[in-house]
Amino acid sequence: MNELVKNAVVEIHDLSVSYDRKPVLWGIDLTIPKGSLAGIVGPNGAGKSTLIKSVMGLIPLNSGYARLFDKDLDEVRQRVSYVPQRESVDWDFPTSVKEVVLMGRYRKIGLFRRPRKADIDAAMKALDMVGMADYAKRQISQLSGGQQQRVFLARALAQQADLYFMDEPFAGVDAATEKAIFNILQEMSSQGKTVVVVHHDLQSVAKYFDWLILLNLRLVASGKIQNVFNRPLLEEAYGGKLTLLSEVGELIKKEEFPGRE
Amino acid sequence: MESLIEFFTFKYPNIKYVLFGSVLLAVSSAIVGCFTFLKKKALVGDVVSHAVLPGICLSFIFSSNVLGLPEKNPLILLVGAFLTGWLSILVIDNIVKKTKLKEDTATGLSLSVFFGVGILLMTYIQKQGGSAQTGLDSFLFGKAASLVGDDLMLFAVISIILIAVIFLLFKEFTLISFDPSFASVIGFPVRWLDLALTTLTVLAVVTGIQAVGVVLMAAMLITPAAAARFWTNDLRYMILLAAGFGAFSGIVGAYISYVAPAMPTGPWIVMVLSVIALLSFFLAPEKGILFKILKRRRIQQMILEENILKLFFQLGEKSKDFDEPRTLDQIVDKRPLDLRKLKSGLQTLKKQGYLHSSGDSWQVTEEGFSKGKRVLKLHRLWEVYLTKYLKIAPDHVHDDAERIEHLITPELEKQLEALLEYPDKDPHESDIPY
Repeated sequence: MNELVKNAVVEIHDLSVSYDRKPVLWGIDLTIPKGSLAGIVGPNGAGKSTLIKSVMGLIPLNSGYARLFDKDLDEVRQRVSYVPQRESVDWDFPTSVKEVVLMGRYRKIGLFRRPRKADIDAAMKALDMVGMADYAKRQISQLSGGQQQRVFLARALAQQADLYFMDEPFAGVDAATEKAIFNILQEMSSQGKTVVVVHHDLQSVAKYFDWLILLNLRLVASGKIQNVFNRPLLEEAYGGKLTLLSEVGELIKKEEFPGRE
Repeated sequence: MESLIEFFTFKYPNIKYVLFGSVLLAVSSAIVGCFTFLKKKALVGDVVSHAVLPGICLSFIFSSNVLGLPEKNPLILLVGAFLTGWLSILVIDNIVKKTKLKEDTATGLSLSVFFGVGILLMTYIQKQGGSAQTGLDSFLFGKAASLVGDDLMLFAVISIILIAVIFLLFKEFTLISFDPSFASVIGFPVRWLDLALTTLTVLAVVTGIQAVGVVLMAAMLITPAAAARFWTNDLRYMILLAAGFGAFSGIVGAYISYVAPAMPTGPWIVMVLSVIALLSFFLAPEKGILFKILKRRRIQQMILEENILKLFFQLGEKSKDFDEPRTLDQIVDKRPLDLRKLKSGLQTLKKQGYLHSSGDSWQVTEEGFSKGKRVLKLHRLWEVYLTKYLKIAPDHVHDDAERIEHLITPELEKQLEALLEYPDKDPHESDIPY
């Protein structure tokens, strides 16, 4: 099951990635149409984060490519936003909520320059959207997990992009934050923005997303939620591990086997 | 006193060199060190400072044998130091990237190999005779007192470069220290920025090393940042504070070595920095140890007071008379509190207006009664919550409630009451007072 659409916002073609020689993604092909609220779902270690990191150019590819808006990432960076996992940064860093959100404006501000008034307005507006305007001056070390996630979302909103990649925005947040974040994502998608979310909670998948990507080292399925969110495909993604695939991967690592060029 | 005036009026030109030299060195390494510290690369300073030694020796050999210069030329030595210092970082990065070795191993390897080669070359130069006269050995342990006008000019230029670059790239350096992958996604040249920051670190080390030497250099880089971090949560203030600590220690170090000529400047700078760091560690508000101890004691005192008022309420519950005066024995009988603590708690509560006393007996005031009632209510509500929502057996909930009753805020109290719908009885069938 792999629905390929024309004029996709995200087009991934034959993408393979390895960590320390061991393949973690095998030949991924998929497309995501404009305005989707797309979920990437799969078991632990399925390569979900790896997939969006490699699309964001943070991990070198073994093969294939990803095109966004039918262009290379470098040509469209100002239209793309990335929300890393909350744990990927040190929240004890000496900085304030407002300054973290302002980081979303750094590309627009450019190198060497200071944030302008308009950038501060945009940051405050983004903070307001996630319900954190009162926390602007707060030190980030004083935030709860849900508040940290909202700050990261606000930073992405301040970028005013058209395509958003989010790595587990719902992980470890309280119920109120989960609802608030979901409402914002839905609003973004209704404005024609495309949102791609790495997600781990199967229960809420059908409610949240209209496009679903099932991943487990390889692509299991990608398509409209009603076509993908069904028992056989979920079982294929979560159930029977492809032991052979993992073993071949280990072998490649051990034998110093040449990677794909 | 006289020496203080002599010192600060620069009676001898040498004082000026040593003072300004030390301050410039300490300030610039403190500022750069803030980023090294935040990037969690504290050991980088140590590696670079050891790795500059072979560079210094090589450029000395080069300048005296090839160029035929009789004395050490600070600029040529600096260039050599810079090159090998830089190379050592490159070596670490490549070992981590290309092999299975982890960063700590790569760091240890790089440091010792570069330093080993440095010592080797140093011994060679000494055998040739002449290193003592050229002052080359001062690099090993530092010798701020031997700074001369030429050195000072060079340091000033380097310090200005360092501070200017950090000022210009403050936003970028902050971002790559906090969230490098985000920086890379928005298209910032992370590799170049990293390179720039490493270059600044190497520059700071290469200059600082002349004052404090190879071994103590890491302290110049990291200690001011670590101390400043205790006092503020704002990176800008942290950098200013670190620079201030650096400047102060530079002045004190220079002064001490002036007053007591046998005393070396560099080690004194590091000593002063360490004292500042220790003081910060103990005295800083919020993060300091003393603050934490005081806070803990305040909370213990509060718990004691609330427990005493709760006891009065429980005694009243039993005898159905809340206003009855109680003796010390009656209280201790109900709950065996430490007598000394109990007495001081009673006195405090009296001062605060929660208790009356007449002779040996104590009586709660209206406010003391309400407070005791509230604590007991929270205790029993929490027990209900634990049994109902966490399914904990009724005989296991008491100890937890003993703690939580003192913690619950008025907002949580309302939530708890609403959630449990004002129950009448706790899991042990005692009435919950409202």
